[in-house]
Amino acid sequence: MRVEYINPFVEAAYSVLTEVLHGEVKRGNLFLKASTKSVMGVAAIVGLAGEVEGRVLFDMSKQTAIKIASVMNMEELTELDELAKATISELANMITAQSVTKLHELGFRFDLTPPAIITGENMEVSDQEVEALIVPMETPYGSIEINVAIRQRS
Amino acid sequence: MSSLHAEQNVRGSKDNDKLEKIDFKLISFTLAGRDYGINILKVKEIRKAGNFTMVPNTPPYVKGVDNLRGDIIPVIDLRILFNLPAESKDATNLENIIILRLDSLVLGIIVDTIEKVVGIASEAIQPPHPIFGDINIQYIHGVVENESRLYIILDVDRIFGTPEKAQVSALPSAAEEAENTAEPASASVEVVATENVSLDLQFISENLSTFNQFFVSPINIQWTKSRLRAWKDLRKDENLDFQFTQKDDGEAFLSPFFSPQTGSLWTETQMVDLAKMLKLEGNNLVIWNPGCGRGYESYSLALMMETQFKASTYKVWASDLDLLSISMAPGLILDENELDLSWKSFTVQTKSGLQFNSNLKNKILFEFHDIKNINPFSKLHLVVIRDVLSFQKPHDQEKILVEITEKVKTGGYLVVGTNEVVEHENWRFVGHEPWSIYQKI
Repeated sequence: MRVEYINPFVEAAYSVLTEVLHGEVKRGNLFLKASTKSVMGVAAIVGLAGEVEGRVLFDMSKQTAIKIASVMNMEELTELDELAKATISELANMITAQSVTKLHELGFRFDLTPPAIITGENMEVSDQEVEALIVPMETPYGSIEINVAIRQRS
Repeated sequence: MSSLHAEQNVRGSKDNDKLEKIDFKLISFTLAGRDYGINILKVKEIRKAGNFTMVPNTPPYVKGVDNLRGDIIPVIDLRILFNLPAESKDATNLENIIILRLDSLVLGIIVDTIEKVVGIASEAIQPPHPIFGDINIQYIHGVVENESRLYIILDVDRIFGTPEKAQVSALPSAAEEAENTAEPASASVEVVATENVSLDLQFISENLSTFNQFFVSPINIQWTKSRLRAWKDLRKDENLDFQFTQKDDGEAFLSPFFSPQTGSLWTETQMVDLAKMLKLEGNNLVIWNPGCGRGYESYSLALMMETQFKASTYKVWASDLDLLSISMAPGLILDENELDLSWKSFTVQTKSGLQFNSNLKNKILFEFHDIKNINPFSKLHLVVIRDVLSFQKPHDQEKILVEITEKVKTGGYLVVGTNEVVEHENWRFVGHEPWSIYQKI
C-alpha cells in the first residue's frame, strides 16, 4: 500500500476511537497480510474508489461491538440489534470519512461507499491481487482490527 | 529486519507447518511466566529435589550440589542466571529440576514449572530476534510456535559449554538444504579441524541466517565461498574463530557484499554506465524497485530516466517492508554538501531541508509492501532488486524470481546485486562489473 495512505488511516482510527469511547486506545504494530484472514464476528466494510480501488474493513468480536455500541449510545445494549449495527456502521463511516478527509488534504481523491455490516461465525475475508494492511487497535472494550486493502489504479 | 518481519514469520509458520514432519522435540518449561524449551536430546531426566548442599564462594546462580543417585551434580538456578524473579522455596518445597547432559558435563537447572514434551518441525524454528529480550540473544537457539504458544528454545551448549561446540547444534540452513549433507551434532566437531570447506560453508551459512537473515543460495554462493576464504585469513590474524556468535560479526562478514552506492544516490557516471547497457524506449515504462529502503535507489533510477532516457515517460514503483524506512522515503532530506551538482535542478528547498521536487517525486510511488505477498504488476520493463533476494529464505528467493520472470516483458531487464548471480534459462547476462544485469529472452 502506498506509504502516504497509511498515516491518515492510523491517525483517524486513533482519534475517532479515543473520542467516541472516552478511553484509552492503544495501537498495535502494523503488519501486512496477503492471504485469507478470519473475521472475528462483526465486520463493517466501506468501499473506496477514485484514484485507488479497495476497501476498509473494521473487524471485531460480537461482544466488543455490543459494548462499543452501548458506550456510543450511552445505554446498555445486550444484543446486536438494529441500533447496535447502525452504531457500528456509523463508527466505520466516521473513521473512513476522517481518513479520506486527511487524504484529500494531501491531494489524494477518494470516494467512499456506504458501510455494510456483516455478522456471523467462522467468516473469512480474502482479497484478490492486493495485500491488506492490518492496524490493530486495543480499546478498553476489546480489540478492533482495521484491515485496509487498497491499490493504485494502474 | 523489523519486528514486523518476525511477527509475520511466526504467523506464516503457523499455517504451513501442520503438514510438516516432526523431527525436533523439546522439553517445555516456564521462567517468570514465559515459555521456554530445551532440545530433548540434551535432557537426561527431570526430577524434583530440594535441600541442595551449598557450596561456598560460588556465583549466586549456583544453588549448590545435588546427589543424583550417587553422582554429585551442580545445580544452577536458571532464573537467577537470567536475572528473572525467583521465588524462594523453603526446605520442604521441592524445586523443579531439568537434568542436562552436555558433552562433558551433567548438571541440573532449576525452572519454575516443567510442562511437557513438544514435537515440532525443525524447519519451523525461527532465528532468535531481539524482541525476545529477557535473555541474551546468543543463548537462544531459536523461537518456535506450537499450538499458539511461542517457545524460546535455549541453546544450553552455549550457555553452559564452550562456544565452539555450541555452533554445531543444527538450525536448518540454506546450505543444508542445498547440499543436503547435514551432520549429526557431535560427530562434526572433529571434522571442522580438518578444514572441510563445505562444512565450514555450512556453518557460516547457518551463522548468517541466524544472525543476519542472510540466506546462502545459488544466487550468492559464489560470493560466499570466496568471502569465506578471505574471512578465515582475516579472523586468523585476529586470533578468532571464523565462526561468529553475534550479529556484528555477520555484518562485518557481509560488508563487502553490498552493491556500490547502497544507501546513497548514484553518481552521474554510474547512471551513464548503467543506461548504456539498458535499451529502454517508448512511453509508460514501468520500473519496479522492491526493497528500496529509504528510497535512494528509487530516486537514482528516476534521475537516470530523467537524464539518460529523456524521450520516455516512466513510473517507478518502489516498495519496502521496513515501515520506518519507507515512511521516510517520500520526504527524503538531502545533504546539500554531498549532493552531486548535476541533480541540483531536481531539488527544492523546503521547511525541513533540501528535497527532490514534486516533479521527480510524482514519478515514484512508494509502497509499504511485502514482496512475498502478491505483486500486482505486469509487463515490467525493468526490475532493480539489488541485495534483496539474498535476505529472503531460499524457497522465497525462488518464488520471487519466478514471479519476476513472469512479470517482466520479453526484452526487459533485471538488475540484481553486484555479488548476486541469477542462473535461469529465461535470463541472459548482459551486464559488467559492478552491474549484475540480466535480460529476459
